[in-house]
Amino acid sequence: MTEKITTEAEPGQRPDAPPVRTAAPAPPWTVLVRGAATVWSVPKARFGVVLLAIFVILAVFAPLIAPYLPTDNSFGRSLPGSAAHLFGTTAAGEDVLSQVIWGARISVLVGMVAGLLSTLIAVLIGMSWGYTRGFLADVINFVVNLFLVIPGLPLMIVLAAYLQGGGLTMIIFVVVVTGWAWGARVLRSQTQSLRGRDFITAAQFSGESSFRIVFREILPNMTSLIAGSFFGAATAAILAESGLSFLGLGGAGSVSWGTMLFWAQNSNAILTGQWVLLFAPGLCIALLATSLTLINFGVDGLSNPRLREGKGR
Amino acid sequence: MTLLDVQDLSIVYEPRGSEAVPAVKHANFSLEQGEFVGLVGESGSGKSTLGFAITRLAKPPARISKGRIIFDGKDIAEMEDEDLRRQRRGGFAMVLQSGMNSLNPVRTVGNHFADIFAAHDHVLRSRRKARAKEMVDKVKLPAAVLDRFPGELSGGMRQRVSIALALSLEPKLMVFDEPTTALDVLVQRAVMETIRDLQREESFTAVLVSHDLGVVLESTKRVLVMSEGVIVEDGPSSQILNNPQAEYTQMLLSHYADPRAEVVELPGLEVRGSQITTSTRSGGLTGSISTDRRERKAHDPIVLTRVSKIYPPPRRGEDPVTAVDDVSFVLEPGQSMALVGASGSGKSTIAKLITGVERPTSGTVTFGSLDVGTLHRSGLRRLRQDVQMVFQDPYSALNPLHSVEYTLMRPVVNSGELRGTAARTRVLELLEIVGLTPVEQFAAKLPHQISGGERQRVVIARALACNPQVIIADEPASMLDVSLRAGVLALLEDLRQQWGVSMLFITHDLLSARVVTDQIMVLNGGRVVEQGDTAQVLRFPEDPYTIELLDAVPQPARAGPAEEIA
Repeated sequence: MTEKITTEAEPGQRPDAPPVRTAAPAPPWTVLVRGAATVWSVPKARFGVVLLAIFVILAVFAPLIAPYLPTDNSFGRSLPGSAAHLFGTTAAGEDVLSQVIWGARISVLVGMVAGLLSTLIAVLIGMSWGYTRGFLADVINFVVNLFLVIPGLPLMIVLAAYLQGGGLTMIIFVVVVTGWAWGARVLRSQTQSLRGRDFITAAQFSGESSFRIVFREILPNMTSLIAGSFFGAATAAILAESGLSFLGLGGAGSVSWGTMLFWAQNSNAILTGQWVLLFAPGLCIALLATSLTLINFGVDGLSNPRLREGKGR
Repeated sequence: MTLLDVQDLSIVYEPRGSEAVPAVKHANFSLEQGEFVGLVGESGSGKSTLGFAITRLAKPPARISKGRIIFDGKDIAEMEDEDLRRQRRGGFAMVLQSGMNSLNPVRTVGNHFADIFAAHDHVLRSRRKARAKEMVDKVKLPAAVLDRFPGELSGGMRQRVSIALALSLEPKLMVFDEPTTALDVLVQRAVMETIRDLQREESFTAVLVSHDLGVVLESTKRVLVMSEGVIVEDGPSSQILNNPQAEYTQMLLSHYADPRAEVVELPGLEVRGSQITTSTRSGGLTGSISTDRRERKAHDPIVLTRVSKIYPPPRRGEDPVTAVDDVSFVLEPGQSMALVGASGSGKSTIAKLITGVERPTSGTVTFGSLDVGTLHRSGLRRLRQDVQMVFQDPYSALNPLHSVEYTLMRPVVNSGELRGTAARTRVLELLEIVGLTPVEQFAAKLPHQISGGERQRVVIARALACNPQVIIADEPASMLDVSLRAGVLALLEDLRQQWGVSMLFITHDLLSARVVTDQIMVLNGGRVVEQGDTAQVLRFPEDPYTIELLDAVPQPARAGPAEEIA
C-alpha cells in the first residue's frame, strides 16, 4: 500500500521539494529569535543584557584587558590608587584592578555552568515527576521535599568543608546539589497542568512514547519558564560561590571576587583605608546578580503576554 | 424615549508591538426604553467588544477611536470614575458569559447582595435582607441560597445569582453577554426563560449578545446582526426570520433546522428521512482513495456489555458517583451512532471507557478480540491504532509549537513502516483528504496561523493518519461557528461513507446528530433512556427526557414574545 500511494498521489507535486525532515522545520529557532526580541523589548531586561555582556567580555578577554597578572605579587604592599595601579594593590602586593577583571571569569563561569546544570537536573526531574503518577511520583516528591527543607547555606558549608581542595568543580557541585530542587518543583506544576491538555491526550493517541511526549510536546511549551529558572539558578550560583569563597572555602589559589573579599577582610582593608578592596568585588557581585535578575523581567514577559500589554490598565 | 444612542462608533484593538485591528466599524443604532434587542454575530464579529463599550467596560488594548455613546442624554466617555461608579446603580449593568465564575468563593450569596446594597446605599438598612430575598425569588431561586457559598451552587444557579445581582442595581439597561453559552442545553433554556420573563415584568432595556441566532430570535423583538465589525442588518425579529435582507443573515439562518422535521437540510449536508446524501465538495476525495475502500473498511465491532462506571465519592461522606449505569450496545463496523444527552449524562465517560482511558467498574468493553478494560501499555497502543479520537476544542487539541506537518507526521511514523519521503507524501495526502489545499502551504503552518475550522480539520486528519477503524468524535463541532460547523460535519460524514470507518458521535446537539448518524442513544444520568434509528427517535420521541432535549434546541421559528410572528 505504501508503494501505491507514493506512485499514485504524487504525479507532479514535488518538483523541488526540500529534503524531507521528520522533525518540525526549524520552529525552535524562530521561537528563540522571537523570545530574544521580546526580552530585548523590555527596557529593564535590555539594561540587564548589556550589563551581562560587559561582564562576559571582561571574563573572556581578561588576559588582554587586565594590566597585570592577578597573582603577580611583585608590587608594593597596600599601595593606594595611582596611575600604575588604578585601584591600588593588596596586602600581598597584587594589582586590585587585575584581580577584579580576572575574578569575573570565575563568577561568570560558575554562574553559567552551575545554573545550566541545576536547570538541567530540575528539568529532568521536574518534568518526569510531573508526568508520572503513582508510586514513583511519591518517591520523587519525598526526595525533592527533603532538599527543599534542608537549609541551603549550612548544607553548602558542610559539603564544601568536607570536599576541601576540590577547587572550582567542587564549588559547582555543591551549588548544583543545593540549588535544583526549587526549579524542579516549579517545572513539575507546569508539567502537570499541561499534561491535562487535549494535545497531550492526542499525542498518546498518535502512539507517542512517554519520553517523546515529555520532551517534544510538553518541554517546548515551557521554554520561558525554563529560561526563567536558569537565570534564577545562575544568580543563586553566583551568590553562593561568592559566599563560599568569602568564608574561605573556595580554592585557595584561585582569584575570584569572593576570595578577594576574604583576603580583604583578613587584612583589615577597611581599617587601612583601602575600601576599594572591599567595594570593587562587592559591587561586581551585586551588579552581575542584578543583571540576571533584570533579564528575568523580560523573560516574565515571554511567559505572560499580559505583562507586555502596557500600563494602560 | 431613546435610552441609548450610539453614533458612528469605531473601536480598535491596539496591542503593544503589533498593528491595530479594527473591531467595530462605524456602528450606528439607538435603543428605546424597554426594548429587548439581540446582538448576533460569529466569533470575531465585534459583538462583545460593542457590548463592553456601551457599558463602559472596554479596556486597553481596546480603544474607542471614533464616535459617541449617549446614555440617557449623557456622553458616557466623559463620565468621571466616581460618576461612573455611582451610575452603576440605576444606569447600566452587565451579565457576563462567565458571570457564574465571577462570584467570590469565600462569601455567601447573601453577602454579595449586602456588598452591593452597602456600596450604593439605595436600600434601607432594615429592608436589605428582604430585598435580597425578593431578588433571588425573581430569578426563581429559593431564599435558602442566600446562606450558601457559590461553590455549593450549580452553574445555572450561579448564573441566576449573577443576573439577580445585576438586577438589584435596578439598571435601566442590562447587557447580557452570552449569558447561557457556558451552560448545559437544558439549563440554558431555563435561564433564557427567566431572562425573558424578567425583561417583560421589569421592563428594563436589555441587550442580548449571542453567537446563537436561534436563541436570540426566540427571545428578542429586534435583532442587530454583526459581521466583521459592521452591523449588517438591524430589524424586527420577524423580519430577520422571514425576510432577511443581508446575505450574511440569510447564511446564518440557513444553518438552523428542526431536528424533528421530516426532512432536514443544512448547507452542504442534507438528510431525507433516514436516507443520507452528502456533497462530495467538502471532502475533496480523489478516486485513488475510494479504490482502497475494501482494505480500510472497518471489520471489528465495539461491544459494550452491561458496562457500569462508578467513581469514588468526591468528598468524604458523600455517595459514590455513578457515571455510567448498566449500558450495553454494539457499534457495528461502518455504522455511525450518536450518543446524546445533557452534560453529566455519562456520554464522555463512555468514550473514555472505549478508548481505554478509564476502566469499567463492571461489565466488559470489547473491540474485535481485544478486551479494552484489561489492556496495558502495549495493548493500548494497538487499540489506538484502530480507535481514534476527534476532540471538542480544536484550540487545545493541537500543540501550539508544532507545525501541521509535524503533528500529522507523528502518528504516520508511529503506526507504520512509512519513513522519510513516503511518510511526508502520506501527510500531504491526509491534508488533501480533509480539504486543506494547497497542501504544501498548510503543512508548513503553525496552529495559530489557521482558523478554528481548519484546525478541526487538522485534528480529523490526525485521527485518520493511522487508518483507524473507529473514530470517536467528542462534540467535534460545538466550539465552531455555525458557518463552519456544517463543513466539519460534512467532512466527517464523507469520511465515514468513503472510508467505511465506524463513528461514535458524542454530542448534545440533536440537529448535528440527526444529519450525520444512523443510530442514536439518548443518555440520562448514565442510563440509556431511548435508542434506535436516529430519524425515527428524533421525529417520534417516546421518552420524556428526549422530548425535553428536543424542546431545548433553539428554534428561530418558535419566536417567543413577538406575538406578531405567526
